[in-house]
Amino acid sequence: MPRFHDHTTDLPEEVFQLKNIDESSVSPGPSNDLRIGVYVCHCGKNIGGTVRCEEVAEYASTLPGVVLSSDSLYTCSEPGQEQIKSDIREHGLNRVVVASCTPRLHEPTFRAACESAGLNPYLLEMANIREHCSWVHLHDKDAATEKAKDLVEMAVGRATRLTPQFELTVPVNRQAVVIGGGVAGIQAALDMADAGYKVYLIEKSGSIGGRMAQIDKTFPTMDCSICILAPKMSEVGRHPNITLLTLSEIREVSGHIGNFKLKVLKKARYVTNECTACGDCIEACPQLAPDEFNAGLSIRRAVYLPFAQAVPSTFMIDMDLCLNSAGIVACDRCFQACAHKCINFADKDQWLEIEAGTVVVATGVDVYDPTALTELGYGRFPNVITTLEFERLINAGGPSSGELIRPSDRRRPQKVAFLQCIGSRSKRSSPYCSNVCCMNTIKDALLIKEHWPDTEIYVFYIDIRAFGKGFEDLFRRARGEGVTFIRGIPGEIIEDIATDNLTLLGENTLLGRHYRYTMDMVVLSVGIRPRKDSEMIQRLFNLSTDTDGFYMEAHPKLRPVDTTTGGVFLAGAAEGAKDIKDSVTQASAAASRANILMSRGEVKVPAITSRIDPEKCTACGLCARVCPYHAIQGGKELGYYQVVEAACQGCGACVPECRFGAIDQTHFTEEQITVQIDHALTRDPNHKIVAFACNWCSYAGADFAGVSRIQYPHNVRIIRTMCSARVDPAWIERAFLKGAGAVLVSGCHPADCHYNNANQNTARRVEKFWKRMEKLGINKDRLRLAWVSAAEGAQFARVIEEMERGLHKLTPESIQEDAEKLAKRSTGKSESS
Amino acid sequence: MTIKIWKFFQREQLFECYQCARCTGSCPAMEVAPALGPRETILICLNQGHDRVVEDEKLWLCCTCNVCEDRCPQEIPICDLLVALRNSAARRGNIPIRLGMAIELLAKTGRSMIVHQLDEMRAHHGLAPLPPAPVDEVRDILKKTGLDEVIEI
Repeated sequence: MPRFHDHTTDLPEEVFQLKNIDESSVSPGPSNDLRIGVYVCHCGKNIGGTVRCEEVAEYASTLPGVVLSSDSLYTCSEPGQEQIKSDIREHGLNRVVVASCTPRLHEPTFRAACESAGLNPYLLEMANIREHCSWVHLHDKDAATEKAKDLVEMAVGRATRLTPQFELTVPVNRQAVVIGGGVAGIQAALDMADAGYKVYLIEKSGSIGGRMAQIDKTFPTMDCSICILAPKMSEVGRHPNITLLTLSEIREVSGHIGNFKLKVLKKARYVTNECTACGDCIEACPQLAPDEFNAGLSIRRAVYLPFAQAVPSTFMIDMDLCLNSAGIVACDRCFQACAHKCINFADKDQWLEIEAGTVVVATGVDVYDPTALTELGYGRFPNVITTLEFERLINAGGPSSGELIRPSDRRRPQKVAFLQCIGSRSKRSSPYCSNVCCMNTIKDALLIKEHWPDTEIYVFYIDIRAFGKGFEDLFRRARGEGVTFIRGIPGEIIEDIATDNLTLLGENTLLGRHYRYTMDMVVLSVGIRPRKDSEMIQRLFNLSTDTDGFYMEAHPKLRPVDTTTGGVFLAGAAEGAKDIKDSVTQASAAASRANILMSRGEVKVPAITSRIDPEKCTACGLCARVCPYHAIQGGKELGYYQVVEAACQGCGACVPECRFGAIDQTHFTEEQITVQIDHALTRDPNHKIVAFACNWCSYAGADFAGVSRIQYPHNVRIIRTMCSARVDPAWIERAFLKGAGAVLVSGCHPADCHYNNANQNTARRVEKFWKRMEKLGINKDRLRLAWVSAAEGAQFARVIEEMERGLHKLTPESIQEDAEKLAKRSTGKSESS
Repeated sequence: MTIKIWKFFQREQLFECYQCARCTGSCPAMEVAPALGPRETILICLNQGHDRVVEDEKLWLCCTCNVCEDRCPQEIPICDLLVALRNSAARRGNIPIRLGMAIELLAKTGRSMIVHQLDEMRAHHGLAPLPPAPVDEVRDILKKTGLDEVIEI
């Protein structure tokens, strides 16, 4: 009689039970009708330079079921693919194994090749001998070749257990959501709306326009920024296909590619749409605050319009500042002043529900706050300002109506210094180059020279990066106008209390001499960084971020606007520091990618869902409890549970939860993975590390280690699952029973899980296994749990290095002893149960 | 006898430097003396080898105030580098005469400066003479730091 338990509490010792692996399913060789073709790719010198591919291909030909094995220079090339196709037809291949790069890159390519030759695409298996082998063992050809053989053997083993699968088609809702109303969001929304799709543009602040609206001129053409942006903004405002939601934030997201459901909080504006933006209310309002749009350099009222060209051109009330914030009307001066009676103090926040097929994330960036760099005196010395403040200062619509003045005495500065790389290229702030500051400074310098040619301008730099079209020309113009460029950032700024002038101390590195310049005003060319609240959107859409905190693209070269979440695309600087032109380009690309989905109107979802065998199911419901998508439904009344295939995302978290072997995940079956484990450990198992890596973070992290050529020990064998929650404790046990030296379970960082925190199950199961090891007196260090994100190639290598060091402490005898302890427990248990 | 500098300072840290010169810009020694600035020190180590620095007497003009390290955007432990370089320099005999004299004095009298004039001043102000310095103890400490390998004490 099976016993049920609450999975959140620890199991009593006697009911600790792992699924028994059916030996008959994994032990005998493949049946006779298997015809496997193995293709080992040289990838030019990428693989062939380290791995002896001919030897690997020859080895593969000896494996059971393999009828054909060859190596080629580029398997992904047209001739390479044609070869596979013709072999399938001529030799009647019914399984194909390609040993080449990561399946995250070329699996779709080879699947398509198989499909066009009439073979079900799910009968393809790949061995990753580039990112996980040749690139990370560059200096050890023998070990790399041996590892490649193992990886091919594992892939062939898995291929013998593959079965044809058919993908489900789901409809794509022909509505799109764009998050963020900066120039990227505006462009993406317009492109999709012009293509005929309904677009919701969601903006957090009171007006669209974003950072571009704040800037005075753009580089390298010196166009007036708002003059070229404002027409686009008003186009958004009147476009019949665009619904503009300002003061709105996304709070909840459910669903998946093609069918997202978003809950949006639209905050009260307190001014109705009838507002004509006459501005009579401003005069009446008694409450003052710094104007955010002018970077705090001027004052606004509690009732205000963010800026003159704002869209929608409707005033708003800052309720935190308004005297009526307590809900009682204490002051109604604006209401009295408004001729159209547009003020509505009773306005309420609204919750909106939006359905969308695709999402474009264009949330933009923050600028670096240089207060932390105390030696520069920002915040203490009034004449030290940032570039964003400078933009507002020389803007005709800014606080000084475009007059160049310095804050302390409102006089025109005669000597202006620009300091580059403030908050960029530094471990003290952001380690990356912010891309735009060099050109922005040069543009600003030219603007000053244009209006006030007698101003002396000094630019203190480390490197001037003028890489774009027309950039070098602008740099040359600035030198021609007499702007002085000095290589060497000042170490310190000292203020003269009497005159408010600033003395810059530093070294001119090209002259090798100390300098001491006295300036009237200093502009800090601050870098850009991810938005403070970027984490919120990241969580909601399960996006990944790179080490700098920007959203990560699905592939840096070939899928630069896609994310790892299907149907979600990136635009603008939220993906990485970029200028206006690049933001617009990327926004159009993102819109175009979304349009592809919407114009087809349907999308195929991979056949990797879980399936429940109603015969074996006892309707205990444990699987339904761990499912992050509520995709498992059923109950005692029905007698069994079943998977709702369209809702199942294929994480596999439910499979290890079932103690009756009733659930299995399509294309990542228990049998397939067990065979992989067995084959990984056929030779010299004691010196091997079996690593389970989730597709989205850890496997990608290991790929990244390969791309970065980070070298690590060669005795790791990586097995891919979709989510780390798919890792069955029975697999860990299996690996140890087969003599594996160590086992690694790795997944996304907690809360970064691609499957709605399914990986909390991973942690729970590994901890339970640790407890068991502890009780049996087995060294716990042999099983490791590591969170490795897709950007942490170095971290992955470090974990493997540490585990490899741990292997030295083990002896074959101790491993054998531990295996016996584990074996005794499992047989003892199966007898008692 | 020489020492391995890179044992005391990770050589890889040098590659982090992109010559922004914030260090030298903040250097008080550079203000008053033709010292070797931190930026130049690193650049010479990178381009010409650290021997060139170790042989240069200007290395000793740094007052190890740590401001360069504080302001380094790449968080390079510059003072560790300078101390390691000076250790090497001292062992190779590149040690300023005045510094050598000070060490000798410290080893012999337990104080780094001559104090008998001070005693007269103290007496003039009605203060008791300074207690005798623990010469043997100081000498033991100096030996334990390995200073006797560098300079005769």
